[in-house]
Amino acid sequence: MRSASTLYRLEKRWSLVFIALPVIGFFTFTISAMVFSFWFSLTDFNPVRMETRYVGLENFRRLFADALFRQAVFNTFFLLISVPIGMFFGLLLSVYLQQKGAKNYALRLLYYLPAVSSVVAINIIFRYLFNGEFGLLNHLLNIDVQWLGTGRWPIKFAIIIRNVWAAMGVAMVLYLAGLNNIPASYYEAADIDGASIFQKFFMITVPLVRPISFFLIVTGIIAGMQNFADAQLLANGNPQGITVVYYIWVRGIDANRYGVASAASILLGAIIMLMTYVQFRRSSWVEVR
Amino acid sequence: MHEKSEKFVLKSFHIGATLLVLLGAMTMLLPYIWMALTALKTPSEAFSMVPTFLPEAPQFHNFRRVLTEFPFWRAVSNTMIVELSVISVGTIVSALAAFSFAKLRMPYKKTLLLMLLSSMMVPYATVMLPQYRAFQALGMVDTLWPIILPGLFGNAAMMFFLIQYMRGIPDVLIESAKIDGASYLGIFVRIIIPLSKPALAAQVIFWFVGIWNDYFAPSIYLTSPRVQTLQVLIASLNSTYASGTNFPLLMAAATLSSIPMILIFLFFQRYFLSTVILSGVKE
Repeated sequence: MRSASTLYRLEKRWSLVFIALPVIGFFTFTISAMVFSFWFSLTDFNPVRMETRYVGLENFRRLFADALFRQAVFNTFFLLISVPIGMFFGLLLSVYLQQKGAKNYALRLLYYLPAVSSVVAINIIFRYLFNGEFGLLNHLLNIDVQWLGTGRWPIKFAIIIRNVWAAMGVAMVLYLAGLNNIPASYYEAADIDGASIFQKFFMITVPLVRPISFFLIVTGIIAGMQNFADAQLLANGNPQGITVVYYIWVRGIDANRYGVASAASILLGAIIMLMTYVQFRRSSWVEVR
Repeated sequence: MHEKSEKFVLKSFHIGATLLVLLGAMTMLLPYIWMALTALKTPSEAFSMVPTFLPEAPQFHNFRRVLTEFPFWRAVSNTMIVELSVISVGTIVSALAAFSFAKLRMPYKKTLLLMLLSSMMVPYATVMLPQYRAFQALGMVDTLWPIILPGLFGNAAMMFFLIQYMRGIPDVLIESAKIDGASYLGIFVRIIIPLSKPALAAQVIFWFVGIWNDYFAPSIYLTSPRVQTLQVLIASLNSTYASGTNFPLLMAAATLSSIPMILIFLFFQRYFLSTVILSGVKE
């Protein structure tokens, strides 16, 4: 029989052995990569050249002088409009599809489908649907919009429409979980007071799902700021539709300009980490059924 | 009178909402239907100025051509290599770490846990360039290694979810196993794993779908057809065929690549719809 303190030492040792791989992975793929990103952003590192010089904040200066970057930043923020729009439709859907039943269940499945579909397939189809000459959308609505052209707004709205289409279902599922937690007695009391359907929606439903709205808006912004596939596949690199991550890719991987691309990636990382931190602070990350 | 008009308003409101939801449902379905129908068209039908809904003569051979003329099966097998290696190893690594955090006494537990979870805050774009440079130096660009290797060290989101789940397993079970002389690894294999099966199943399904649809990192690393995963293959067909040479073939490939995920979704629908895995909710 081993003593209690030996057992304790054994447990502590094994507990560390069991987390060794994730810790090693964290230092290899996250920490050291971030350190290198930081270093790249302060040098003129180029993988096809031998020597590397420290250049201070020169990359950041060049970054902000780069019209393509400024455009990518504007686009990335503008495209975030799709987050609240998708949430709004998701909330309406959840209220409508709240009742159990086969028809509602089938509709929920349908609205959620884009969440399990590949962004590649979706973007290729949407690029075809949005096509200015033979696209189905212009034909059905009997309009003539060059969605994929070089105009300032059309491609942005195409990306926003595609994202609202894909995000409604995810918001709906989360809101359904939230609606489950609202006691029916609240609505009954409002009925007695003679509240209208709109009053019930805005005075009971909307305030009581606020934690879910907060979660959706923060995770939506974080995901939206990392959007790459829409810029590459739907906008096809059209400067009016590219995002910051596309910019990092095109300057870094494609053009070997690691310094400028890393400067952009450091700024993006800082903003996203801050937002995630806010989210962590606000939420307890509980499991909802 | 007032009562009656209010009922009328409510009823017409409900009819309006129903119509909108059904219109929305058609909008959800349309891109998928359009993809499948276009896959059966001829190239000139697909690019006619006045789109026709149904193909004149369904070109079923488009699907056969995708399977024979493109490295489609090669791409499926590359995708499955990533799926199986990452999920099998990654799940065990994540579950073992989760067990350790949830049930074992560990020095600096809180700090270590926060550290690992903080990796979820870091966007891929921030670590992408150094990782690319490192894999380039190791001669691993244009192989599956850069896609597989990071996954073998576990997945922070999965680990976090499993920790929550494993905390619900009674300590008594673990203590009595210890008294019976079981090792920590034995406890993990014989008690923790069987009791965590539902949580593990949900996580594995989500991860499977996630890897199947993963595009960003694979598109950076996998350039030659020999190593391309399904999504990268289809995106590369897109850049070759989107200009019109044979658009229906591209749609056929996209359809074929979507079918497995739609089937998994329908088969495991409860996991996707009724359990919301992680949602931060605090009043």
